[in-house]
Amino acid sequence: MVRLPVITGLGFVTSIGHDRSTVVSSLRELRHGFEPHQFLNNPDLPVKVAGTLKGFSFPSPSWRDWSWPAQFSVDRELLRGLPPHGVYAMCAMQQALQEAGLKAADLAGGDTGLFCASAGSPYLLSHFVQDMHATRGQRGNPMGIISSIAGTLNFNLAAFYKISGAVCGFVSACASSSHALGYAMDEIRLGRQKRMLVVGAEDMTDESILSFASLRALSINSDPGSASRPFDRRRDGFVGTGGAVALVVEEAGLARERGARIQAELVGWGQAGDGHSVAASHPEGAGLREAMRRTLADGGVEPGDVDYVNAHATSTPAGDRSEALALNAVFTRNNARPKVSSTKALTGHGLSLAGAMEAAFCVLALDEGFIPGCAHLEQIDPICEGLDLPLRSLNEAPSLVLNNSSGFGGSNVCHLLRKAG
Amino acid sequence: MESSSSPSNDPAPAKTNSSRDKMRHFPQEVQEAFRTFEATRNPDALDPVILAILDDFIPKKTEVPLSTFPGSTRLIEDLGFDSLAITEVVFFSEELLNISIGNEELMQVRTLEDLRGFIRKKVSPAPVA
Repeated sequence: MVRLPVITGLGFVTSIGHDRSTVVSSLRELRHGFEPHQFLNNPDLPVKVAGTLKGFSFPSPSWRDWSWPAQFSVDRELLRGLPPHGVYAMCAMQQALQEAGLKAADLAGGDTGLFCASAGSPYLLSHFVQDMHATRGQRGNPMGIISSIAGTLNFNLAAFYKISGAVCGFVSACASSSHALGYAMDEIRLGRQKRMLVVGAEDMTDESILSFASLRALSINSDPGSASRPFDRRRDGFVGTGGAVALVVEEAGLARERGARIQAELVGWGQAGDGHSVAASHPEGAGLREAMRRTLADGGVEPGDVDYVNAHATSTPAGDRSEALALNAVFTRNNARPKVSSTKALTGHGLSLAGAMEAAFCVLALDEGFIPGCAHLEQIDPICEGLDLPLRSLNEAPSLVLNNSSGFGGSNVCHLLRKAG
Repeated sequence: MESSSSPSNDPAPAKTNSSRDKMRHFPQEVQEAFRTFEATRNPDALDPVILAILDDFIPKKTEVPLSTFPGSTRLIEDLGFDSLAITEVVFFSEELLNISIGNEELMQVRTLEDLRGFIRKKVSPAPVA
């Protein structure tokens, strides 16, 4: 029996909007989510822009000081063990469940699993460890570990929604939530679960983002309107962001049975390692090239069948170059010219969140019938020769789209999504 | 020569500020009660503070104020505290009152009255031998 995973619900807390319609219009109109941001209250730092989460505030490590937009509610009992990105995740989950026509009670019983991805909360972890040193180990916040380590999302959400199916967290840096979605597809395909909740999230804090400045990976362009410009010759690094995206993935039969609206089908996924560097991408994009090929093979399609690729491209000089070469190897050399764009030009790079966020954008493109354009792209890097990079969003309805993600250590993961049939 | 007992040099004010900061989300009358305790060290003044701490960490809010519950009310069975929420109360109280509460001591605290009595004992000066 072939079991087809489909998407029935999406939820967004992103720099470009906290609800579906705002996110769609931001993608269509290429409206970015960046603002000037002073990291660590230090005006001398060269990194000056971030993809901010409007209406959310985490001014201290104490949840009593936190706030979020009024349309969301976060249960007090849950809040005590949450990191900032857990608050985002709760807000995204509420939207996704509502879209899918599910109540929290529908998730218990073992048929529903939960796969999550985040890097944990360096913000809360650093405070917890500082307190531990200050008291020489004699006192500590009981929620310190639960709220801060990688895995905090699955600890919190699984307990809150009483998930008794598969529960797991994924850690492969910027490919983490792409792994979560890929393995969630497998859970459905293998008949182990009927429904999977997939949540990617990341803090939008100085601790989460500025740490990448020491790698010289962040843009030092102070203009929010051009700091993130994947595939542009003048790109100089990524702009950090956080947030959360939740996806409800169900077996197509179950979705139809209960009358849920199917937004897109998940028809393939694949992964491949670079086997190259702890941080840098393979110079020819070898792993990503192979991950794309495996994904197309898994979906039983040819390169020429793909209408749109949501590229991983983060706006770093080396990473975008590798991806452009990999895309040309897989598509251009096979006489295929899908439209290609990186929506990180609008959102910034959401790290562990990126793969789930961009998979959800692919669902929107399929479901709403448009192709996001390449924001802020003015001087196309010659390495992109052969790629079709639309400078504006297109009112073209794609049927088949590919979502690319790459993470530290050369983890490359792709998903293939098809318009609901 | 600067006196080591000068308030400006004493580390205590820093602790006081920190305590006030920790209490800033409590109702005004609770903050006042704590200030009274700090000034007088009279444990009676702590009663509203203890109830406010419990109310702050209780997993599900009670419909009526905690002050209306009898002293025999059990924290876990009657008020719905779980082990995590109790450790949070302990951690907060330790920080605020500059006391240490051991696991074995904690095991003896089951009711509101137990907690009240326990904290009073903890903040009272040790008897002179």
